[in-house]
Amino acid sequence: MFFTVSVAAEDVTITVAGGAVGQELEMTERAAEMYMEENPGVIIEVLDTPDLAQDRLGLYLQFFEAESSEVDVYQIDVIWPGDLAEHFVDLYDYGAEDIVDMHFQEIVDNNTVDGELIAIPWFTDAGLLYYRTDLLEKYDLDVPETWTELEETAQIIQDGEREEGNEDFVGFVWQGDAYEGLTTNALEWFASSNAGTIISDDGYITVNNERAVEVLEMAAGWVGTISPTGVTGMAEEDARAIFQGGNAAFMRNWPYAYALGQDPEESAIAGNFDVTTLPAAEDGEPAHTLGGWNLAVSQYSENPEIAADVAMYLAGFESQKMRAIEATMNPTIEELYEDEEVLEAVPFFGELYDVFVNAVARPSTVSAPNYNQVSEYYFQAVHSVLTGQDDALTALEFLELDLQDLTGFEIGEPQN
Amino acid sequence: MIDFKNNPLKTSLFILVIALIVVYLLFPFYWAVNSSLKNEAQLQMTPATMVPRNPVTFEIQPTFRNYQAIFLSGQFVRGLRNSVIVAVAVVTLSLVVGSFAAFALGKLRFKGKNPSLYIILAMTMFPQVTVLAGLYAVITRLGLRAIPSMILSYMIFTLPFTTWVLTSFFKDLPIEIMQSAQVDGASPFQTFYMILLPLTAPALVTTGLLAFIQSWNEYIFALTFTSIEPAARTVPVAISLFSGEIARQEPFGEIMAAAVVVTIPIVVLVIIFQRKIVAGLTAGAVKG
Amino acid sequence: MANNSNDLAHQEARLAYKLLAPAAIILLLVALYPLGQVFYTSMTDRVFASGQEPNFVGFDNYRQLLSMRIVELPPQVDDDGNIIRDDDGNIVYERPIQVLPREPRRFRDVWQINLFGTRYLIAASNPAFISAITNTLIFTIISVFLETILGLMIALVVNSNFKGRGAMRAIMLVPWAVITVVSARMWEWMLASSRVGIFNTLLRRFDLIDESIAFLQTSTWQLPSMIAVDVWKTTPFMALLILAGLQLIPNELYEASRVDGASKIRQFFSITLPLIKPSLAVALIFRTLDALRVFDIFQVLLAQSRYSMASYNYFQLINNRAMGMSSAIGVVIFIIIFVFALMYIKALGVDAE
Repeated sequence: MFFTVSVAAEDVTITVAGGAVGQELEMTERAAEMYMEENPGVIIEVLDTPDLAQDRLGLYLQFFEAESSEVDVYQIDVIWPGDLAEHFVDLYDYGAEDIVDMHFQEIVDNNTVDGELIAIPWFTDAGLLYYRTDLLEKYDLDVPETWTELEETAQIIQDGEREEGNEDFVGFVWQGDAYEGLTTNALEWFASSNAGTIISDDGYITVNNERAVEVLEMAAGWVGTISPTGVTGMAEEDARAIFQGGNAAFMRNWPYAYALGQDPEESAIAGNFDVTTLPAAEDGEPAHTLGGWNLAVSQYSENPEIAADVAMYLAGFESQKMRAIEATMNPTIEELYEDEEVLEAVPFFGELYDVFVNAVARPSTVSAPNYNQVSEYYFQAVHSVLTGQDDALTALEFLELDLQDLTGFEIGEPQN
Repeated sequence: MIDFKNNPLKTSLFILVIALIVVYLLFPFYWAVNSSLKNEAQLQMTPATMVPRNPVTFEIQPTFRNYQAIFLSGQFVRGLRNSVIVAVAVVTLSLVVGSFAAFALGKLRFKGKNPSLYIILAMTMFPQVTVLAGLYAVITRLGLRAIPSMILSYMIFTLPFTTWVLTSFFKDLPIEIMQSAQVDGASPFQTFYMILLPLTAPALVTTGLLAFIQSWNEYIFALTFTSIEPAARTVPVAISLFSGEIARQEPFGEIMAAAVVVTIPIVVLVIIFQRKIVAGLTAGAVKG
Repeated sequence: MANNSNDLAHQEARLAYKLLAPAAIILLLVALYPLGQVFYTSMTDRVFASGQEPNFVGFDNYRQLLSMRIVELPPQVDDDGNIIRDDDGNIVYERPIQVLPREPRRFRDVWQINLFGTRYLIAASNPAFISAITNTLIFTIISVFLETILGLMIALVVNSNFKGRGAMRAIMLVPWAVITVVSARMWEWMLASSRVGIFNTLLRRFDLIDESIAFLQTSTWQLPSMIAVDVWKTTPFMALLILAGLQLIPNELYEASRVDGASKIRQFFSITLPLIKPSLAVALIFRTLDALRVFDIFQVLLAQSRYSMASYNYFQLINNRAMGMSSAIGVVIFIIIFVFALMYIKALGVDAE
């Protein structure tokens, strides 16, 4: 479903800023071409921006500071709607109610600030547990469902492989560097162990509790045992390099690593791994952090109506289906997870449907416009525990005080 | 300067020192070349291999795909062109403006010399990040395009340096030369242009080189100023925007290939440039 | 002749101003507004890229950045008043969070030191920035020192008469020619914490270590790694500048001295060093200023796990959008650098007069 727009006297150029990576770019350009065919008079230009979310944010901020009308549509990270809301238009003013229902409710809620829909969901992401099927078989072990099981299984495999001569083998790799990625990992540990989600949905700071202390100590225990010491400097690509090179039994990473790992020419583990839900505490439920990107329309655009139309088209059914099949990008439209063609191309979309639908969102909307700072306090606290600089209790106590000062929220109990 | 014809111990020591220095300087570059010839699977091998090898059979197997990829991408080639334009402009401007200022500061008498030197130096005392936002606002207000913006803003860093180095060289030139030229009826400007400038050739070449490299390497300003003008992107920006097939994937091999492609011509150019100018001008001009 | 010299003096001064004009214009154009804005913004609580009205806060940002306190950390005592010790006999102290002051702003400990049997906490309201300052200072002092020595050696070698001299000159430029951000990535890969990285591979192969070293993640190795990368990258800078100075020394001086029977070492100290002092001095000043502003390698290799002053500035601006605060940081960096520059100039005597 898309809207036709009446042809303007001269061509209107809509600039879309965002990811211009390989297949992603190709998909966007194709969808843009399809739109331009239906809507002569509109030219869509894709502006490539740095792939690193950090650098991309820096660039966007420069545009906003200058109130630049150069870019009409922005591809924004799922944690940015809260902080950047003032720079985007309310898509409900441009007909979004008609199409918003087909998307995942969680993401739509995430993108709604003060009743305004800041961005339309484009594609989603959730943390997953990657595991080596061949190694589990070799040591006759099951896929772990609790963190304790993961520790044990990883240790067994690591010891076994090292004895056989692979000195570089490690049990579990994840993202432990001091950056947003650590927030996503740590949130999963917390939420799956009933330790809360840093700040609860109704605005209480829940981060300092007993379970949180336990879980941080558990994670710190992995460093140097089942995870290499260098894990405290690893981001997504570093973890993937180790897992894909055949040197790890388990990895926590986003879905993008799946397709890359299955390429027989580039991967040492093609065909020997799979993905599943992350472990949880004995009394907890698996939690997967919500990632993904959305499209938002700039307040400073000269053609917000057309820009909104373009954004909603790019995030529409046809476009998302194409991206799902050809580029394994997780759609945000529920129906597509039952679409036969999609499931044929990417079977695990169907198997892991629950994961994507129930992903845990970071508290970006409730702590707007200070989410970035909240996240920084959090990952620095977690990082200091992982590196042994602080003990868990001290780190969490300071974190609680920092968050209170920043947000003015009160302290509460984790809700799970 | 060092003469070792008859001294084997000293010679071998000397050669050893040179060898160590050469290894130290070249090894990382060798590693870049090595990495540029590997595909992802080869890069992820442990232990890391000194030459690209097949992960399974271990025979030597270089991959040329990375080089293919960067040349196919128009971005990279265009980036090279833009970088050269910006760098050459910055060098020329810095040397011209800088040598004028340096002549005044090094040889002429006037009030306000010290304050001027300090003010010029003060420009380099701010980290780039600090001036970035303000500079970007100025650029957008003035409506400047990306390339002129880069050229002008790089001056903040190259001009003080060039001025200071040239000032110290000018200062050291003996006053007699200037005075004798003046007796001969040359104006101060003629003295400057025809006599002093050639004498400081090594300094000019050196500061020119350093300004060139500094401008060549600059990343953060370039990234910001060329953000909406992809056609004006310089090499560091183009490389940073290299991406693999899928978002988040970092094509390390391609980045290394780009590094190699960019470095070799620079080194070659610099050698030619340096040899010609320095040899030509200092041969006769060395004080005697 | 008085009239003539006055005229000449005037002519000189006029010419001087004319010659300085282009430099002045460029610097005014490019630097005046941004720098002025930085000073002004540092006294506000402005948020980057936001419609919020900034409020004037005076020196609050500076106080937040630079406030430090020294607090005594008492040992834990049990109910009878005896000091509690752990299994190894060491005193168990109270947890810092309990004694650190919270008014007018919250302090966290940066270092703990023992002085005359009492333990003290050196606390700061912004421990990250204080650490950033010390990181940058240590980095600067060590890397500039190494670069100078190495640069001097390389320059001496290239300047001497031997067959490989041309090649040496080319090789010398290689590190400098590799683009900074790319060379940072390259070193990042070489310093990888597993044997994917070449350093660990070589160290393990020659049995120098048992376990791979996580160079960029272990706090003792982080600064040395930064220094190694920087020395590699910028030694050519020093070498080139010193070389330029060396080339201007006439050979006759050495000839004469050799005839007089002076040894190589003697020649070096009595001829070479004094004559290259100006270029060495300028090289030192600029290299130090650059090192104090180090950004690229810290941002790429250590990101937010360990800051330099400039990278801390960057993250405050982009991540936290704290423009007022980051401007204050910029001003503090400026003052620190200014002090250094002043010390150098006085010590090395490179004033105009």
